[in-house]
Amino acid sequence: MYGWIWRHLPGNAWVRALISLVLVLAVVFVLFQYVFPWAEPLLPFNDVTVDEGSGATR
Amino acid sequence: MAGTRRRSRNRVAAVLSFTGELLITAGLVLGLFVVYSLWWTNVLADREASARGNAVRETWRTAPAAAGPGALDTRDGIGFLHVPAMGGGEVLVKKGTSSDVLNDGVAGYYTEPVKSALPWDRSGNFTLAAHRDGHGAKFHNIHKVRTGDAVVFETRDTWYVYKVYAQLSQTSKYNTEVLAPVPRQSGRTVPGRYITLTTCTPVYTSKYRYIVWGELVRTEKVNADRTPPPELRG
Repeated sequence: MYGWIWRHLPGNAWVRALISLVLVLAVVFVLFQYVFPWAEPLLPFNDVTVDEGSGATR
Repeated sequence: MAGTRRRSRNRVAAVLSFTGELLITAGLVLGLFVVYSLWWTNVLADREASARGNAVRETWRTAPAAAGPGALDTRDGIGFLHVPAMGGGEVLVKKGTSSDVLNDGVAGYYTEPVKSALPWDRSGNFTLAAHRDGHGAKFHNIHKVRTGDAVVFETRDTWYVYKVYAQLSQTSKYNTEVLAPVPRQSGRTVPGRYITLTTCTPVYTSKYRYIVWGELVRTEKVNADRTPPPELRG
């Protein structure tokens, strides 16, 4: 998968490394900005309130 | 014949290496999620909380005096909680305990399942929740709070000084009894002016709840310099 991406990037090794870095940063940005905030409430790691188990309150 | 075998072996190798790369990627994503949960949400929440806190202080400074309880604006926050034993400075307190509220690095007072009293009420239980980890982690050090420690709530005009008298280091997350106006689990049986801090425990999980109870010992008028009460000067 990563080998395939590397082979399909244009330019010499330096250009490819630079593009790879940009791609990695873009993926991290998308994860932090959109994916993790969406996933977090679905995971049971950060509920702090006591409630009656309705599941709606956190 | 030999060519076919080599080709099929290549295909197996390709599938294996693709699967391996997927697994490595999944590991990296999970690692990043930990970084997000324990660090990045704190950065965002602290930034948000300090902006909101400054806005509240600005309102206090500029708002005309004699604004009665009716003029109380609960949307921006009702005051600041100071728990010297936990360190980390002041915590803005806002209405509600939904994640929208708590994720901004504040403590929220309960509106349900048991409605919180407010500090200026003649009796009742002022019940608060905040995150143990991530999103500001305002109650991260709740386990350091001991009996006798001071919990001070600051409003525009008054310092409410509470003293911790009981802790419950682990209870069910469905135990709404701890929020009762008279929290009998803490050992008290008569109405009074109580404060209850709740958060999750053990750290990094949400399996149980950690509870700290305090009761009001005195109030102090805020002076022109907002000199904190002796409990906060230590």
